[in-house]
Amino acid sequence: MEFSGFFWAAVFWMAGWGVIGSIALKRRYLHRDLDTSNTSMVGAFTGAAAGPFALIPLWIKTPRLTTRYIVLPVIATVVVFGLFFAKGDPGNICVTNGTFVASQFVNGLVIGIIYGFMALGLTLIFSILGIVSFAHGEFYMIGGMITYFITSVWLPGINPMIGVLGACVATFTLGAIFERMFLTPMYEGKIDRPVEYGILVTFGLAFTLQYFVQATAGANPVKAQRFLSFPRMGLPSSEDPWLMKTSRGSMELFESVTISSPRLTAALTCIFVLLALLYLLHRTWTGKALRAVSLDREAAAIAGINPDRMNMLAFALGGMIAALAGSLLVQAFSWLPQVGAIPAMRSFVIVVLGGLGSLPGAFFGGIIVGLVEAAGTGCVPDPQKAASYIPAYGMIVLTLTLLLRPTGLLGRKYASATHGQN
Amino acid sequence: MKKTSFLAATAVSVLALSSAVFAADCTIKLGGIAPLSAPGTVVGGEAMRDAMLIAESDINAAGGILGCDLKVVIADSEGLPEKAKAIMEKLITQDGVVAVGGGYHSSVGVAAKDVADARQIPVVFAETWNDTITGDKQKYIFRIAPLSSWASATIWRHALTIEGVNKVAILTENTDYGIPAAKETTAGLESGGKEVVTFSVDIGTQDYAGIIQRIKAEDPDMIITLATGEAGYNFTQQSADAGIGPLDLVFHTGQVSLESKAYWENVPDGNLAFVQRIGLPENGFSPKGKEFATVYKAKTGKGAVESYAMEAYDSIAIIAQAINEAGSTDGDAIVAALEGIEHEGTLGKIFFPYGTGKDPSADGKPDSWWHQWPDVALTVIQYQNEGEDSGSATIVYPDVYKTGEPIINN
Repeated sequence: MEFSGFFWAAVFWMAGWGVIGSIALKRRYLHRDLDTSNTSMVGAFTGAAAGPFALIPLWIKTPRLTTRYIVLPVIATVVVFGLFFAKGDPGNICVTNGTFVASQFVNGLVIGIIYGFMALGLTLIFSILGIVSFAHGEFYMIGGMITYFITSVWLPGINPMIGVLGACVATFTLGAIFERMFLTPMYEGKIDRPVEYGILVTFGLAFTLQYFVQATAGANPVKAQRFLSFPRMGLPSSEDPWLMKTSRGSMELFESVTISSPRLTAALTCIFVLLALLYLLHRTWTGKALRAVSLDREAAAIAGINPDRMNMLAFALGGMIAALAGSLLVQAFSWLPQVGAIPAMRSFVIVVLGGLGSLPGAFFGGIIVGLVEAAGTGCVPDPQKAASYIPAYGMIVLTLTLLLRPTGLLGRKYASATHGQN
Repeated sequence: MKKTSFLAATAVSVLALSSAVFAADCTIKLGGIAPLSAPGTVVGGEAMRDAMLIAESDINAAGGILGCDLKVVIADSEGLPEKAKAIMEKLITQDGVVAVGGGYHSSVGVAAKDVADARQIPVVFAETWNDTITGDKQKYIFRIAPLSSWASATIWRHALTIEGVNKVAILTENTDYGIPAAKETTAGLESGGKEVVTFSVDIGTQDYAGIIQRIKAEDPDMIITLATGEAGYNFTQQSADAGIGPLDLVFHTGQVSLESKAYWENVPDGNLAFVQRIGLPENGFSPKGKEFATVYKAKTGKGAVESYAMEAYDSIAIIAQAINEAGSTDGDAIVAALEGIEHEGTLGKIFFPYGTGKDPSADGKPDSWWHQWPDVALTVIQYQNEGEDSGSATIVYPDVYKTGEPIINN
């Protein structure tokens, strides 16, 4: 199917006014000696959504650009683009089939929660230690492998939560030991180039873990049994299950949205653990100490916090979070020693998109990437291209975000500790 | 005197031993390409590696090649074309192989063949299906796997025999195997009046939820998977979770599903899936095939022999025979021997009717028949009992090999 000329004209109109808006508003605010940190983003989205009709009043009044001025234009741009899309391709399944749209939305949301959760670990490590862990995907892989071995090989039939807990304990310990052995030289000033050292040493860990697993467990795909099999039932009745219908591996809501058991259990567990993590970070002394170190290591040390211990905790916790995501998804995907490569790459995108070092940013970034991927897969008209472009969808969002807001969605200017050094 | 005799005897013994050592030191190396890391099909790669190493043992036990030991140098292609070129260069220039067997992914074959042909090293591809691999009519390139167009024809012809199938969804990987295979399958199905919609994905894709919802919205009567590796497992099980798996409609899954143990672990809801198989069922194996099956099962602990393992074994064994017949490891001599060979392989009698001596066009055949074994048996099996071996699964197509009726659950 080809989009109509109207659609492309509309896209060029939006893009054109977006560019004009971002440049003009920034200049205007600069000229008036006002804060310009959000001007490119607000200008671009305001221009894209309403063209000169909203840009001119904004240009004249130059209000303080609060969250309201960011969120509303973004939503308006999405709505306007959706309207042009519907007009340009009225036969598209995303326009004609509400059930399908609901399914894609739920799919995107569920997988986005899991993406975001995994990226949380990466951003936690970055915010405390100031390094990007290139072994994040391997922690994810190890988590799945350990869970598989516990639940399917060593202790078949055991409660899968034992397997998940086992994976968490093992990877937390691995992360702590690795941090003590290989990352401490960074804090002691023994390394000339700590950033490069951090990258290389975590790269080394990644390769070691990957090939260790391949050598010991083999390279055949494995998979854990699904943690939860739904009983066959229908609500409100089995004859007319319009509300909910379940089969062994999936649940159908409102006769439209299907969620598989592995995804549902993974997403719910991620939300639960995320809440626990937020509690840890905001309501406990240890969590506050972690946040303090991420803000200012020296001030934290003066206040009696041991930054080195926080480094160890952050790296172990970050690795464990990735491993938990893996241990929850080993029931959904076939698992190989190389399985972490794509999720790790996606986590890097999400972390930068959300803002380096921002935990909420990582989580929302994950959801945004999940939803954008679902929208692209569902709505790109050519079925031969829709799924082939999956890796590109996240990159498009990332590129746009970095152009308009280089610190990421919720990032702050100086997000990391000084490479873990006192 | 006694001392002198002892020294002389020792010297003679040492000389004799040295000459024996020098004789055993003569080694002829063959390359063996297999995907042993992701994103390649590791299940297939490991099976092929095991088979090629069995071939090496069997050949050495039978006296080696030209009186020398055979050494099969296994190279990991990772299923990637760029890696394929690199390992072919390495095998030839660093390892000093005189010919190459194996090969699983078409994209690997397409990329690696030009390197081998330019360096005048014969290759017998085992499991690379893309038609152009032989269709380019390169002097040093041979193949014992079926052409992609033949394999696709088996799938679409089988689909046309199933009643109630009017609309087919194809999931294909966007590779040198998947893209032409999808086109050929689509053309075949459309020639039978079926409606076809094709979805393509990157090799290595794990999460199919979005595309499965889209396929579900198309409401197909049949799904055909033209993807290699664990993609076949992931897509089939995720489809089952979404209510459009093998237990819900006619479902042709990826060939990797012939590895039954891994299939049932990765696709617990995969009963009633159809799978294409290259080669005859086990009860129809040649004597050499039966012999290989016994050794292979003992070595790997598997309950059945995958067709790509047999192809890999044959690709090494046929090169060894060609070198022996040529009496030389020279590339041109091996090619000449291969063009005239009659090899009793595990898959049957292997020969190459078309090549430099006779062009395929002489018999009205397309270029892809060049250096191509024409007698590959292609079947479709169906898992009809949970946990069963692919070797004992019911053959449902074609009629000549049929062992039972398909169960159509639509």
